Amino acid sequence: MKPFTYVLPHTLAEAHTAAKKAGAVLKGAGIDLVDRLKERIEAPPEVVNLLPLKNDLAGIADDGGGLRIGALTTLRQIAEAAALQGPAFGAVRIAAGLTATPLVRNRATLGGNLLQLARCWYLRSAAFGCLHGGKGPTCLAMTGENRYHSILGWHDCVRVHPSNLAPALLACGAEYTTFFDGKQERRPLAALFPDEPTAQKAEHTLRDGEILVAIHLPKPSGDVRSTYQETREKDSFDWATTAAAVQVTLQDGTITDASIVLGAVSPVPRPRAEAAKSLIGKKPGDAAFLKAAEMAVAGASPLSQNAYKLSLCKAIVRAALTEVTR
Amino acid sequence: MTTPRQEIELAVGFGKHIEKRKVDVPDGDAPPWDANSKFTVVGTDADRVDGLAKASGRAKYTYDINFPGMLYGVIVRATIAKGKLDVLEVDEARKMPGIAAVVLLKEVGNKVRFVGDPLCAIAGTNLDVIRDAMEKVRAQYTTEEHNVDFLQNPEAPVLDGDGNLIDAWPEHEIGGVIAGAEASHEGTYRTEVQTHSSLETHGAVARWQGDDLEIWMSTQATFGVRGELARALDEKGHKPASVSLHAEFVGGGFGSKFSAGVEGLAVCLLAREAKAPVKLMLDRFEEHTCTGNRPSSLMQIRAAAKKDGTLVAWDTRSFGGVGFAPGGGGVTFPQHYIAEVQKRGAHKDLVCDTDPPRPMRAPTWPQGYFGGELFLDELAGKIGIDPLEFRLKNDGQVIRQEQWRMGAGKFGWLQARNPKPGSPRDGDDPRYLRGAGLASARWGGMGNHGGRTPHGCTCRIHADGKVETRSGAQDIGTGLKTAMAMLTAEELGLAAGAISVFVGHTADPSGPAAGGSTTTPSLAPVIRHAAWLARQELAKIVAQHLGCKPEEVTFAGGKVGAEAAAKPMLSWADACKLIGPNPIETRGTRFPNYKGEAFNNGVCGCQFAEVRIDTWTGQVKVLRMLAIQDCGIVIAKKLAESQVLGAMIQGISYALHEQRLMDKRSGRMLNGDFLRYKITGPADMPPMECIMMSVANGHTNTSSVGLGEPPSVAAPAAIANAVYNAIGVPVRHLPITPDKVLQALAARRA
Repeated sequence: MKPFTYVLPHTLAEAHTAAKKAGAVLKGAGIDLVDRLKERIEAPPEVVNLLPLKNDLAGIADDGGGLRIGALTTLRQIAEAAALQGPAFGAVRIAAGLTATPLVRNRATLGGNLLQLARCWYLRSAAFGCLHGGKGPTCLAMTGENRYHSILGWHDCVRVHPSNLAPALLACGAEYTTFFDGKQERRPLAALFPDEPTAQKAEHTLRDGEILVAIHLPKPSGDVRSTYQETREKDSFDWATTAAAVQVTLQDGTITDASIVLGAVSPVPRPRAEAAKSLIGKKPGDAAFLKAAEMAVAGASPLSQNAYKLSLCKAIVRAALTEVTR
Repeated sequence: MTTPRQEIELAVGFGKHIEKRKVDVPDGDAPPWDANSKFTVVGTDADRVDGLAKASGRAKYTYDINFPGMLYGVIVRATIAKGKLDVLEVDEARKMPGIAAVVLLKEVGNKVRFVGDPLCAIAGTNLDVIRDAMEKVRAQYTTEEHNVDFLQNPEAPVLDGDGNLIDAWPEHEIGGVIAGAEASHEGTYRTEVQTHSSLETHGAVARWQGDDLEIWMSTQATFGVRGELARALDEKGHKPASVSLHAEFVGGGFGSKFSAGVEGLAVCLLAREAKAPVKLMLDRFEEHTCTGNRPSSLMQIRAAAKKDGTLVAWDTRSFGGVGFAPGGGGVTFPQHYIAEVQKRGAHKDLVCDTDPPRPMRAPTWPQGYFGGELFLDELAGKIGIDPLEFRLKNDGQVIRQEQWRMGAGKFGWLQARNPKPGSPRDGDDPRYLRGAGLASARWGGMGNHGGRTPHGCTCRIHADGKVETRSGAQDIGTGLKTAMAMLTAEELGLAAGAISVFVGHTADPSGPAAGGSTTTPSLAPVIRHAAWLARQELAKIVAQHLGCKPEEVTFAGGKVGAEAAAKPMLSWADACKLIGPNPIETRGTRFPNYKGEAFNNGVCGCQFAEVRIDTWTGQVKVLRMLAIQDCGIVIAKKLAESQVLGAMIQGISYALHEQRLMDKRSGRMLNGDFLRYKITGPADMPPMECIMMSVANGHTNTSSVGLGEPPSVAAPAAIANAVYNAIGVPVRHLPITPDKVLQALAARRA
């Protein structure tokens, strides 16, 4: 890696000031960043390490209105958190526990998982120059090797969003708080991801210097359940080929509320509102799940090598709905 | 001069199959073990002697070797797949701060053959300054159109949309035999490139002292690479006065580390120019793309059988996806089913612009056994005969006949088989399909004596009771050290843990490269011979002390003495005190394998697998596996089992996960790292069991046969057959990834 100035802030304000500088990058555990630096796809002049702020930015607590999960909370802490043990947040717990390896989960943070750079093999190699990486005229995967790429809602870049916590948190109605210019701002989690995920857009919508502080989960009311499942090529340490997070509310054996969010199929995590709506008022059952799964991939446009992901995506939605209503 | 020989009668074979056989034993060799030999150490569950050192990080691999003032080296490689090098300017790089040496590895005007073809190497104080310097190297090329897909080679056969080879078979009378047979079948099978993926990458540390070169290298051929480097350096005008090489711990090789490689030569040249020790270890991408692989293959098989399952004809044509260099792309089909049938086989290697193959664990076999064994199950299905019965009918090998029966009983073959392939088993969630498959293994691996320089081994017994056994050959993780300790301990009546083992230093007696399952069978007889000679030396000293004959002295349970002697037995420590200041030192000799036929000229094995397929997601989960395997007389049982289990894991990986994915436009590998190149991990491993059979082959004094390759032959085929039994249609293209399973299921429904 190239030499850089390493900033260890004492306060969020210090971190914000340092991170606002041109080219500065924020670091959580560094799981993603160190890979980018070693591959030399990035050479930032300044790295601002957030870990000194762990006392304020890590941990899970009930803040009265719901759960607040600090951005520096590790995936292992999330996977094992007592506060997340109920059925409502199963999706979050499971997604965190499935990520990477135990070694990574011991270090990797919630913030890093949500904000990491896409894992496209063209984007991630210094040997290639692509549009999203800002080093080429086109998306190389669109016409190249794309078996693991987007099948849904892509524009001029077919990367997939790599976070598995993002769909889980979206399905559970999460919000997020950031710190910017001395102010904390809270928004629905969907606002963290670009509406139109073009090549020019980053994986997230944070401004330069804006720091993700926490994720909030609402207090569940009623029989609320969620789960998360992903398809993979192997069980140990693999990226999802497709992922689905679902949350349903059941009342007297009928689904009264539902959300379905897909991961690993589009440049952003994709809530599938129409598919979820089709479940409302229905009794759980395979026919309803199959229909919802079909609707979840409506409008999909797979690439030359990844049509198989359509079947997988339908399967994982069906499987997640089956599991969560069991 | 001929070696005087004596004829000895041995009991060879196994279990109930014991035969008396006369063998010609060279004079001076240790008396051979046979089926009646009784052991106290050999064949037991002794632990790996260096297991704790490895698990605790105390074992020093090449990667861990450091010297004060040591520099690092990196190779600059071509970024195009095919063309000619027009310009290579390194002056600017050479002037960068921290850079100590630059050596050219390709001359301007020469061909570039693949992405990764070496251009030059740079040494500097750390990897970051070298990376900066690498960016200053200017290479210009005349590019030519490249191709990284062997099936796009103009000479490749034509396939239909389902991947079946459609060119007509060449005219031959076998065509008539197949056409007129009671049952026949045809299919096309395909495998992808698998990289060796050794955990320790290729590389070395080189240190010159004057003209004497000392080198630490991750290699599986200590003596081979030493000679190779000496010759190559001579050609470059840097003839070393001496070369000593160390490979005390090697983090895997699987066949990729027989040569010093360009990295081996480069590090020596860099260290020479920099006048400092240099460490050059390849990075993971280079390891995936520049150090060989198991080549891809395409196989078409047609065969015929009688209604009762007897094979009558076997016809194949195959293609190997080699890189830029032709050769090494062959496939080996299971010959033991077709020894007596009419057969034909043709093979052709298809070049393309990638890194060429290197031998990889049973080179050419796992491909051919996958195709061959899956084909046999398909044919058995057509005839309506159980795959096990089909094997028993056609397998001419007496050892494997026993193994098939033993394995089938132990595995519960009939219960594990899905009677209605493609339908869920009773009581199962209909989402999941289960099935079971089996496949055979075979290999030679009888060992060799080393040719012009026979393999040696030194055994020393010191006055303080310490015992050393030393070989200059390398232990790449297979367990040579433990075998050396156990063989020596057996002769001296000690425990394996009491023996100090030294390997991998070329100052010690020479031994074979670790390849082709030859290390243990080549070295076991000489290790034993050295210990046996040392024992006789000690017996003479002890006999003098006890006042008995040397041949009356016994060595057992850490005691040395003689029943007949007036004085009591001595403890090992007391016996060794008699030795005096100079240790007993003996040099074992590796005599040639005994003349005449061994009981079995190689090893046999078979494996069973049960899988579960998720019909929604297409994911294959291996539920359990069983291997039955022989390796002659088993020396280190735990390590033998470890070899087999490791091969089963590697086999699962080859069957389900591993494939090199290339970017056709750039010719560059896309998944050249451990994030994207998928290898079976702990969560994917099923419960696995291995049963070792001991077979006295009667070909050397230890009757041991190599084990590295054979267990890797059967595993992928057994899994592919289990998938076929589960879903009712064969997946004829490895790896069996979810997309292919879903495609097969869809085809079955259609």
